[in-house]
Amino acid sequence: MSVWFLRGIRRGIVTTRYPARPEPSTAALPTPPIFRTDLLTAELVEQLIAVCPSGALRREPTHLVYDVGACTACGRCYEIAGPAARPSGEIELSAVAREHLIKTIRIGEAGR
Amino acid sequence: MTEQHTADPALTELDTAAEQLRAAVAKQFSRSLHIRTIDTGSCAACESELRMLSTPHYDLHRLGFFYSPAPRHADLLMVTGPALRVMDVAVAKTYAAMPEPKLVVAVGACPLGGVYPSDEFAHGSVDKILPVDVWIPGCPPSPIALLHGLLVAVHRLAEKVSTMSFAEAR
Repeated sequence: MSVWFLRGIRRGIVTTRYPARPEPSTAALPTPPIFRTDLLTAELVEQLIAVCPSGALRREPTHLVYDVGACTACGRCYEIAGPAARPSGEIELSAVAREHLIKTIRIGEAGR
Repeated sequence: MTEQHTADPALTELDTAAEQLRAAVAKQFSRSLHIRTIDTGSCAACESELRMLSTPHYDLHRLGFFYSPAPRHADLLMVTGPALRVMDVAVAKTYAAMPEPKLVVAVGACPLGGVYPSDEFAHGSVDKILPVDVWIPGCPPSPIALLHGLLVAVHRLAEKVSTMSFAEAR
């Protein structure tokens, strides 16, 4: 075994295969929202769609369609949604199909 | 209904074959993957994150990933930007120059269609000009998100986003 490798281990230099634990710096990053279905009203949904600059939100009769791929995590929805949206804290969002990134979110009782 | 039943086995067989081929390609690339990047009109934020991957902190080489200076040596193409039409020739030549089998990764909200609409200047999303294998959202995606996407592309990590609903009720 290489000497440089053993020295590295002794000095506490760690080489992991992939971040073995959550990367601390990612906690400060802007992340896409998670919506509270019980607090989503029809009125709020219209406001959210109007404020989204990247067209990531779309309305269907009983659902809010959220395209995670189009979302730039700008945070404008947090400003007007109040408790109805919070940052997901999730950055590992890679998808093998585009449609895996499109989420349908049920609008709560108040929204129908 | 009966027509569907007769068509199903052939489709399943084809699907299985495609899945096996995909797994074989991923296995071939899993410990050594050479990456070519192409910018189709990005703001350079994604490029900045891509460059961070080769710093000691993220160090993509430890995972067997390498940047290639030429598409002829590349296994995977990372595309940033909203696919400007002025880049059509460059994108087509780059993709054609890569040897088979090859993978395409769309990096950031622009190639995923979130920033620019389709108009006379831009296609608006990269899937209109290239067959995309992995989509990495983010504006820009952080280096960890990029590493995750690359590991998903070579089947070393599972995709997470399909299990997330982005909705909760209390």
